[in-house]
Amino acid sequence: MTSAATVLRPQDLGEVQAALRDTTGPLQIAGAGTAATWAGLLAPVDAVLDTTALTGVITHNPGDMTVSVRPGTPLAALHDELAEHAQHVSLDAARIAEGATVGGLLATGDAGPAALVFGSLRDVVIGVTLVLADGTVARAGGHVIKNVAGYDLAKVVHGSYGTLAVVAEVVLRLHPVPKAAVTVELPCSLAEAAEVAARVLGGPTEPAALEWTSDDLLLLRIEGTAAALEARTARVRELLGAAAVVAGGSGSSRDAGGAAGAGGADGAGGADGAGGADGAGGADGAAINAGGADGAAGGVGGAGHAGGDDPWARHAALTRGDPAAAVVRIGVRPSRLPALLASLPVMAATAGLGTGVATVTVPAGAVADVHARVHAAGGTSVLRARPAGAHLPAWGPPPSAVGVLRAVKHAFDPDDRLGPGRFDPWM
Amino acid sequence: MALDSAVRQAFEQALSPADVISDPVQCRAYECDGLTGYRVVPDLVLLPRDAEQVAAAVRVCHERKVPFVARGAGTGLSGGALPVADGVVISVSRLNKILEIDPVDRRAVVEPGVTNLSITKAAAPHGLYYAPDPSSQQVCTIGGNIAENSGGAHCLKYGFTTHHVLATEVVLADGTLVTVGTDTSEQAGPDLRGVVLGSEGTLGIVTQATVRLMRVPESVQTLLADFPSIAAAGDVVSDVVAAGIVPAAIEMMDTLAIEAAEEAVHAGYTVGVPAALIVELDGPAEECGVQFEQVKAICEKHGCTRLHIAGSADERAAIWRGRKAAFAAVGRISPDYFVQDGVVPRTRLAEVLDRIAAMGAEAGLRVANVFHAGDGNLHPLVLYNADAGETEQAEHLSGGIAELCVEMGGSLSGEHGIGTDKACSMPRMFSDDDLATMQRVRAAFDPDGLCNPGKVFPTPRLCGERPGKYQAHPLEASGKIERV
Repeated sequence: MTSAATVLRPQDLGEVQAALRDTTGPLQIAGAGTAATWAGLLAPVDAVLDTTALTGVITHNPGDMTVSVRPGTPLAALHDELAEHAQHVSLDAARIAEGATVGGLLATGDAGPAALVFGSLRDVVIGVTLVLADGTVARAGGHVIKNVAGYDLAKVVHGSYGTLAVVAEVVLRLHPVPKAAVTVELPCSLAEAAEVAARVLGGPTEPAALEWTSDDLLLLRIEGTAAALEARTARVRELLGAAAVVAGGSGSSRDAGGAAGAGGADGAGGADGAGGADGAGGADGAAINAGGADGAAGGVGGAGHAGGDDPWARHAALTRGDPAAAVVRIGVRPSRLPALLASLPVMAATAGLGTGVATVTVPAGAVADVHARVHAAGGTSVLRARPAGAHLPAWGPPPSAVGVLRAVKHAFDPDDRLGPGRFDPWM
Repeated sequence: MALDSAVRQAFEQALSPADVISDPVQCRAYECDGLTGYRVVPDLVLLPRDAEQVAAAVRVCHERKVPFVARGAGTGLSGGALPVADGVVISVSRLNKILEIDPVDRRAVVEPGVTNLSITKAAAPHGLYYAPDPSSQQVCTIGGNIAENSGGAHCLKYGFTTHHVLATEVVLADGTLVTVGTDTSEQAGPDLRGVVLGSEGTLGIVTQATVRLMRVPESVQTLLADFPSIAAAGDVVSDVVAAGIVPAAIEMMDTLAIEAAEEAVHAGYTVGVPAALIVELDGPAEECGVQFEQVKAICEKHGCTRLHIAGSADERAAIWRGRKAAFAAVGRISPDYFVQDGVVPRTRLAEVLDRIAAMGAEAGLRVANVFHAGDGNLHPLVLYNADAGETEQAEHLSGGIAELCVEMGGSLSGEHGIGTDKACSMPRMFSDDDLATMQRVRAAFDPDGLCNPGKVFPTPRLCGERPGKYQAHPLEASGKIERV
């Protein structure tokens, strides 16, 4: 991006269309900027299309549990609005607390620990309105959760990093905010955590999240009805052994504020944890910003407790990583993840032991080697943060379908206007 | 035959002569899928034995510009596997091996001709199963499920095929073999996997799939409840959802569907009641138990006239036998029927059923309703007698119901696909620009349009010179969505 780039800040769909139709030349699509440095370094652009004026709910149908929103809406703000209906989008990506927008989260295909049950945004987006580089407005999907009519264009832009189209509206499936949640922590190495995780996943407890963090903790979240939580927590603690304690924080990073107050450092027992989390459930929305503040304040820098007492705020901080180093997102068969991570020069990491998705902070000089090792293990990787201005390889070897990717890019954006450089050297 | 013998020889060389069917009588067996009203006899039927042979066959199609249609078990209900004139059918029925069951990472690698249920059977010894369960799961193939993004009774909680397929190997229209998707939900770049899923065989032929396996839930609780009206049953659905409960399944049947199902399989349904609900919860025992009590209370609150709780696996199976047999069972009370597959927002269920009843009465035809109440996916069964000349009327009513669903803010199809059946209705749901953008995707995968042509998108040949005019979607008209 050059400092001379014009900033276009459309106020509605018509202005988005005009911004694309009435201009030529390379263009960057920008939201809140929480992932501005992810993937390939952006080549110089003539204009920046800023989506942050396109905010707010278009329609929320509580009974149908669907919502359509404008793309610049911060997901945290959307959760605030949905809180009174005890509904939310089942997504807890680490940067939500920093103000990440719905459009940006979709364009980066981001997800958090809840992916264990709910997957990433690709699994809850039910409709999308796109504006192509030539100003064509195209809608796909709809407002119902079950729908197979036409191609699913939301999937085309999921993980497209602003290179294929402007996301102008997103329709999402909602889920009920769990009535209660509790997190159990087990201090252990990654190898031990993997063993415990295999036991947990082979059993009936159905955790809502199961993550290892590089401050040597296994985090296991249980969500559900308050009445059943105590018994379920007791079963999990039995499975994890005597060293497992109920964490001070609440069940999810979104609940961070409410529960941090309720829980404190109390590891006394399942019932306490359950009670605290239960109270936090209703305050979900209100707690978002509090959680965010915690997370933003905490760095990584080797601190064992970045983000305070809430385990998920700490997890989010470790996932966001150290901006002075390089952060790489990795996906690999879950059983291969522990050995893969052990082979990398990890400075900080969070690892989804059921999902196979990890985020690692590594020295900038190690990024090429990380891509190579992940690829050798059959996985995929993409660079997230990098030291300012550093030229690091953003992607590993191209997938076999890279020819199709190029063809779709050419079909949507024949003049190569959008997000130049993001997929360098693939396309 | 329109394809000349040189073309046939090229296919015979790519496969083997014995695996290329050209006898018109044998080819006739492939003339339609589960939507039997549309029939086209293909010129040739190819029976490749592995992915390499599929790729080789498609390369011949590419070189000689021969259109091709992939086919699994042929159980589809939208004419998605309808052959094209002067084209070939490529059957994946011989690609029927389960290549890997991985109980540690909970996934299976399968060929496309494997049936849906056989994946679950192979996974069962490990306490695992494959979640999507379309009614035809005993015979339908995973390849077809991927093409249609099939659902099933349990997709409210567990999602559709797209949520359970991590990666697929695809033969593209030029005969190259690629993989879309990865071993996790994390992908580097756009979700091409999710584009191929549900594209109804128009973007390539799937030759292998990696699917997620789920752990069999610790506890399953199922009830069958009778209600004095559809509206009362609908209120139960709303209250269950409002209570923050996501049932594994929540299915509704109306009086005609109940009668047909009960006559066919004697599953213990109450003949004559206006509406019946099946609600199934699953999960950890404590959780499931607490929520099941809540559901029972909600049923009673809304005037449930009979509450039958499955006391054993056999009783649960009987309840489901009735539900899953409902389509075929309708054949007992009517010589012919069409199945529709529209979706409406769940909160408009009672309203849409009233409208369907009125439309049926006007057409002088009976409509039985079986549907996935949790996600608003209707399966109205339009009953008619072809011998009495009612076919055209029934087709008209059936199409009208699908379009009514769009009018009510829903969709033409929840799980059966657009195929040939509803291609001409697509302009009711999508604008020219929407469809043209989807066609850009199509052309990126298949520039020559050889891969299952004539499906999904309206064509002048199929729909008349000018496909039906786009009308503002009702959500658009009411300002709930924006369009410029």
